[in-house]
Amino acid sequence: MSATATEPGSATVARPPAVRPSRWPAWLTNPWGRPRFLALTTWVYIAWALLPVLAAILFSFNDGRSRSVWQGFSTRWWWGDPDLSVFHNPTYTDALTHSLELAALAMLIATPLGFLLAIGLSRWRGRGSGSANFLMLVPLTTPELAMAVSLLLVFTQLSVLPFTAIHLGTTAQVIGQVTFSISYVVVIVRSRLAQIGPEYEEAARDLGASTRQSLQHVLLPMLLPAVLASALIVFALSIDDFVVTQYMSSSGETTTVPMLLYANARGGATTPALNAVATIMVVVTLIGVGGAYLVLRWFGRHSGEQQKQSGAMADLTGIE
Amino acid sequence: MATAIAMGGGGALELHELEKRFADVTAVDSISLDVAAGEFFSLLGPSGCGKTTTLRMVAGFERPTKGEIMLDGTSLATVPPDRRNVNTVFQSYALFPHLNVLDNVAFGMRYQKVPRKERERRAEDALEMVELGALAKRRPHQLSGGQQQRVALARALVLRPALLLLDEPLGALDAKIRRQLRLELKSLQEEVGTTFVFVTHDQEEALSMSDRIAVMNGGRVDQVGTPLEVYESPATLFVADFLGVANVMRAEALGRNGSGCMVRVGEFELRAGCGELGCRGAASVVIRPERLEVVPLAERPGENCLPGMVDRTVFVGSNLQVMVRLVTGEVVQASIPNHGEGLEFHEHGKPVMVHAPAEALRVLAGDGVGGAAGS
Repeated sequence: MSATATEPGSATVARPPAVRPSRWPAWLTNPWGRPRFLALTTWVYIAWALLPVLAAILFSFNDGRSRSVWQGFSTRWWWGDPDLSVFHNPTYTDALTHSLELAALAMLIATPLGFLLAIGLSRWRGRGSGSANFLMLVPLTTPELAMAVSLLLVFTQLSVLPFTAIHLGTTAQVIGQVTFSISYVVVIVRSRLAQIGPEYEEAARDLGASTRQSLQHVLLPMLLPAVLASALIVFALSIDDFVVTQYMSSSGETTTVPMLLYANARGGATTPALNAVATIMVVVTLIGVGGAYLVLRWFGRHSGEQQKQSGAMADLTGIE
Repeated sequence: MATAIAMGGGGALELHELEKRFADVTAVDSISLDVAAGEFFSLLGPSGCGKTTTLRMVAGFERPTKGEIMLDGTSLATVPPDRRNVNTVFQSYALFPHLNVLDNVAFGMRYQKVPRKERERRAEDALEMVELGALAKRRPHQLSGGQQQRVALARALVLRPALLLLDEPLGALDAKIRRQLRLELKSLQEEVGTTFVFVTHDQEEALSMSDRIAVMNGGRVDQVGTPLEVYESPATLFVADFLGVANVMRAEALGRNGSGCMVRVGEFELRAGCGELGCRGAASVVIRPERLEVVPLAERPGENCLPGMVDRTVFVGSNLQVMVRLVTGEVVQASIPNHGEGLEFHEHGKPVMVHAPAEALRVLAGDGVGGAAGS
């Protein structure tokens, strides 16, 4: 380290030291040192987020009726108890099947619609494309309660066809869920489309494929990971959805698990069977998201686009 | 093998006053070109000169604002890209990642209603032709850049187009592979006989491969000619500067004198033997570095000799570049070939004379940029 340097023919120049001093100790500022703070904050966050969930899952295996006092291990609330366990209680099993039914319907309807909308929006050049793009984002940014209430009003108060033909119930629930799910599909597919760029479609057209053929034979296979990922996102969103589903429900037959949990969570008359139902929900959602991840990895390895695969994964987790 | 691909005749392209205007920018400003069938034609120019836009209009991805595109006499104006008998090799190759190499090459034939067996056979032949037969089952991402480029070439040529468009296909490759592929591309084109229209900003590429070159600048074509014509007889300062290195000096043209044109550079009078010999007034003179001679200072200088001082010498292996600062203020570059011995490494500040032979000194009307231009 030199504080001054003399050059021929010039006055002495003070040069800054080779290593600038820092007020933090060396073990902290070392860029290759162990990431202590990062590890600490991560573990604290994981504990904060997961411990309550783990506790709830644990208590579903409780031996007594209490959901807060541990009385021993048992599977009575899962299948043991003939009246009150999850798989013997029609209220619970109906709610479970209805949840899965809604999720499957929402997934099967929202994904193709969202895919086509994404393709259409990306090609629309003329007037109206700006407002269409904006409108597509509105369901994503509207508070869910506002959307649920407005849907309720539309289906019950508006005396205009086709709204009069739709009553509250499963149909209304599906429509409500698809309405906001489409936006998620569009965002995921469009971002992947933007990453791919227009070249492959141009190459396909140059080689003789019409617009439809290039979409079917080139774009769709290339977008498949994004489409599958967004389908699984729709599934996960639908399974967990509460507000819209609640407002669009009509009777006990249209109850889903989140609605059930909301209604019973603070009551005194419920058993750990409720925890069991909640555990099933957690597992199903995990399978959904885990499946999305595995699908993307398989596709990534298959076509070798390492960086593009992680980009799709980023879409997935970025949205969530 | 080439008979799988070779075409008999056809492929003459005619551009007539073609224009493309985007919102506030005119990318292509009324260009007219005639490309003969079977020719290797290059569009050469810097980035933003409109060469890629022109290519895309011929391929069908951009719609011309004005003008005509005719292929073998048929207008392409309202024909969508999938119906034109024109194929493109893209700069990034655009090989479909979800298909293997053979399926990539066979892709286009499906839309020509070619039966499956024949598709595979022709695809295999095309891969043989570009010497990639062994890699048929690989995926594009498993190939090197040069191999991908060849697959893109095979994929386009297997469809027997009348015209093949290449958009800077060698841009993404390193220098050695590029040089090798230049020769391969040229011999492939001669073998197959398809008209090639090649877009590039690399003048060495254009010079080494083309039958004719169109030098483009700012949406216009400055000059069309064979590589020799364009290099030896540039029509404008831009062309002179863009192809190779050009020494440009501002001068005043004094009119015709016998077989040349007298020009005044500083206080010296030179005779320019080629170019616009009849011009007068503000002009520029251009001479190539390899034509300039560096000679020792003499008392009675010959014709076209300018005194100056050596600024620096740069040895690049095959030749020695000598930068000389003339007394008129400009710096010119002379290129002396390396014959092994007798190479004089002039030191900085040495007074010398620079001789510009009249037949190599070109006069062009108009005010140019002073001093030796970089390549």
